[in-house]
Amino acid sequence: MLKITNLEAGYGGSIVLHGVSLEVRDGEAVVLLGPNGHGKTTLLRTISGLIRPSAGRIEFDGKVLSEMSPAEIVAAGVVHIPQGDLPFPELTVLENLLMGAYLPDAWKQRRQKLEQVYELFPVLRERSNQLARTLSGGERRMLALGRGLMSNAKLLMVDEPSLGLAPFLIEEVYRKIRDINKSGLSVLLADENADHIAGFADRVYLLEMGSIVSEGTAEEMLKNEALLAAYLG
Amino acid sequence: MEKLIQAIYGGIVYGSIFGMMALGLTLIWGALRMLNLAHGSLYLVGTYIAWALVTLLKVPMVPALLIAALGTAVVGFGMQTLFLNRILGKPGWDVGSLIVGVGVGMALDQSILLIFGPRVKQMPPLIPGVYKIGRVVINYNFLVVVAVAVISLVLLSLFLSKSRYGLAIQAVSQQPDAAQLMGIPTRTVFLIVMCISAALAGLAGALLSTVYQVQRESGANAMLMALVVTIFGGLGSVKGTIWAAYLIGLLQSFLMVYLGAGTALPGVFLFMMIMLVIRPSGLFGLGEAQRL
Amino acid sequence: MIQEESVSRQSVAARIDERLKLSAVPWSRLSVVPVVIALLVSLALPWATDLLPFGKFVLHLLILFFLWGIVVQGWNLIMGVSGIFSFAQVALFAVGAWTSGVITQQLGWSPFVAMWFGPVAATFVAVILGLPTLRLRGAYVVLLTLGFQELFRNFTTQGPNFVAGGGYGLRYVPKFPFEEWVGGDKAQFLYYYLALVFFVIASFAIWRIFYSPIGMAFRALRDSEVYAISRGVNPFRYKLFLFGFVAFFTGWAGAFYVHWYGAISPAIMLFGTTINLLAMIVIGGWGSFWGPIAGCAVLTVLPEIMRAVEQYRILLLGIVLALVAIFAPEGLFPLLLRWVRRLLGRQA
Repeated sequence: MLKITNLEAGYGGSIVLHGVSLEVRDGEAVVLLGPNGHGKTTLLRTISGLIRPSAGRIEFDGKVLSEMSPAEIVAAGVVHIPQGDLPFPELTVLENLLMGAYLPDAWKQRRQKLEQVYELFPVLRERSNQLARTLSGGERRMLALGRGLMSNAKLLMVDEPSLGLAPFLIEEVYRKIRDINKSGLSVLLADENADHIAGFADRVYLLEMGSIVSEGTAEEMLKNEALLAAYLG
Repeated sequence: MEKLIQAIYGGIVYGSIFGMMALGLTLIWGALRMLNLAHGSLYLVGTYIAWALVTLLKVPMVPALLIAALGTAVVGFGMQTLFLNRILGKPGWDVGSLIVGVGVGMALDQSILLIFGPRVKQMPPLIPGVYKIGRVVINYNFLVVVAVAVISLVLLSLFLSKSRYGLAIQAVSQQPDAAQLMGIPTRTVFLIVMCISAALAGLAGALLSTVYQVQRESGANAMLMALVVTIFGGLGSVKGTIWAAYLIGLLQSFLMVYLGAGTALPGVFLFMMIMLVIRPSGLFGLGEAQRL
Repeated sequence: MIQEESVSRQSVAARIDERLKLSAVPWSRLSVVPVVIALLVSLALPWATDLLPFGKFVLHLLILFFLWGIVVQGWNLIMGVSGIFSFAQVALFAVGAWTSGVITQQLGWSPFVAMWFGPVAATFVAVILGLPTLRLRGAYVVLLTLGFQELFRNFTTQGPNFVAGGGYGLRYVPKFPFEEWVGGDKAQFLYYYLALVFFVIASFAIWRIFYSPIGMAFRALRDSEVYAISRGVNPFRYKLFLFGFVAFFTGWAGAFYVHWYGAISPAIMLFGTTINLLAMIVIGGWGSFWGPIAGCAVLTVLPEIMRAVEQYRILLLGIVLALVAIFAPEGLFPLLLRWVRRLLGRQA
């Protein structure tokens, strides 16, 4: 389980996140909603270790992530799928996926994991020998997700899965993420758009101006139409 | 006819050596975004270590070459840990790394001068003797040099494209943030790349000194040619660099055989400059050459 | 209503004031008294050195300081301020020298006339070189300019005899007729004054650009080129202008050099000279105005003092360069200045 307590973090001199507290229980699908530029990506980057917090605590499965390096955090089972996918452009789809299994434990099981990923995303199997930069937007999104799954992830953090995709593709991406969640992985998903929360999320947090201004189960949040008006479609 | 054979054969020799030199440069550029102007000095370090081992300590040739490559790798390691790691990732990196390269290169050159003196050195050939095809003379030594170079290039290419660590190096060069998110230890990768690059430069220097005489300017010349090859092949592209190395090697060789030794350097440079105007990213470059 | 009007008029006036301040000659930055004193001192210097036993040597050093000071300030303007990583500055210096030298040698013209062709040629070459080069990013500029310098060096070593002199470069170049005018002893004085004039004019021109809107824009650009481009600023024309502008003065210095020294060798274009100049900028203060001048002063004098241990000097220089790049990227002099200010601050 991921537990964040009173997190404070930022870049250079400015603090972006103020006293953020958040939980993701085992097997949950949690959505982090919020306008762009208000700290969602910063939060995910702090959890995955790219940013060092200035105050607060991040715990996962009894380990204190806020004191670990990015590599150790991945080894602990927390995998961050970055905004914009960030594929390795000159490597093939297969090579990209293999890099997802870089860490020794995952590497040993890479063949099985590869099969699992191909099952979930058949299009990747088709394109396995193509360079990543030749993929379409939707395919890149699948690649990013597949890459994340190649590790021994227990918690998958996805940043803006709907970014730059056509509506029907967005639906497909969310469906896949739901399937991933159903298979046992906890998911923390950050998005600006609340369209697909229904039937997907267990709980929702609202992040504005670097603080959690509201939280609750998906039903509670959806009922509060006024609150969500800004974030729907 | 024999001029042609001479030109081709010379081109292959040059190409092999340029390939080794340039590969190191392009790897460093790809991974660290640094134009390593100390590369020529690393070449010299390898040369002089090999020379000292063979001539002064009577070490046999093959181990001497290996130790020279290793020694140069250590120097590269030192440069990275003592200087470069301190400014890695910080905003002043572009300028800072350039100057560190210049400074360390200077210091190395001068140290070599102080230790070994200014006179020209010559290494004995790896395998003495020649082979004649008609009136064309082919040194066994040359062949060995080419063989070693080709083997190293092939091994390195395989390493980079097939091994877990090699792929990781490529990953870090292409997208360092994503690489970190996969647990790839970027700082360690940088260090390894620097060591490999230095070892290549050192080996190239040691090898070539069995063919040609060695002097202080050799380092600068070698680096200049390596720069040309790197640009032509495309900064950051391993495949492009190897192709470019042989193309430029052949170009240089043909110029030397048909137009005279003096035309080689200017000819190659002119070619590079025209090349850059027409196609700035080189044969297979990792983009970024052209401004928006 | 009236209050609003006057407030808005005030703010408009304030804004206009701001713009005027920016584009006007930044006299306010210059405190007149120190500059006048410096000028007076430099005018009197030759006479002062005459009193010293090794005065001639000091005068020689001063002239070198002026010449390289021009080159270094120019290089700093294009590299430290505007991010043009040109490694062809010495070649441009050489173009100036060779052009002027060859004209006096082959056409018999007076150095006073020929010396203007130097800078013109250098500017011309710079523009031609800059057209394809300056569109590309940093590393490529380094390579192309390095390549050009090497090409030119090669040309002056192996080229036609009137240029390469069999590999020695130009020799027996007609000097300025100062010896005829005032006799051997005081001739160096005149060289000194001419060099001083060159130096002052060049420094002033560079200073003007440095603190002009162009200069300030460049300093902002250097730090975030992507941002500037996204705002539609096309730096290329400005870079080309600066590159040519600096080349003019660099070539000028070269022309002076060849008619003072009477010769120029291709060896000047070996990497050593460039590194020395680079060290002046890095150690003196990358991107600052006075820094490189200070660096030039130190690094012109230092080699002479350390003649005995010349080899160690270069070794030391290399290490210092690398250390400064890491620990004091703005240069040693700005660092020293800060310490001094802090010390004074504490005492006050």
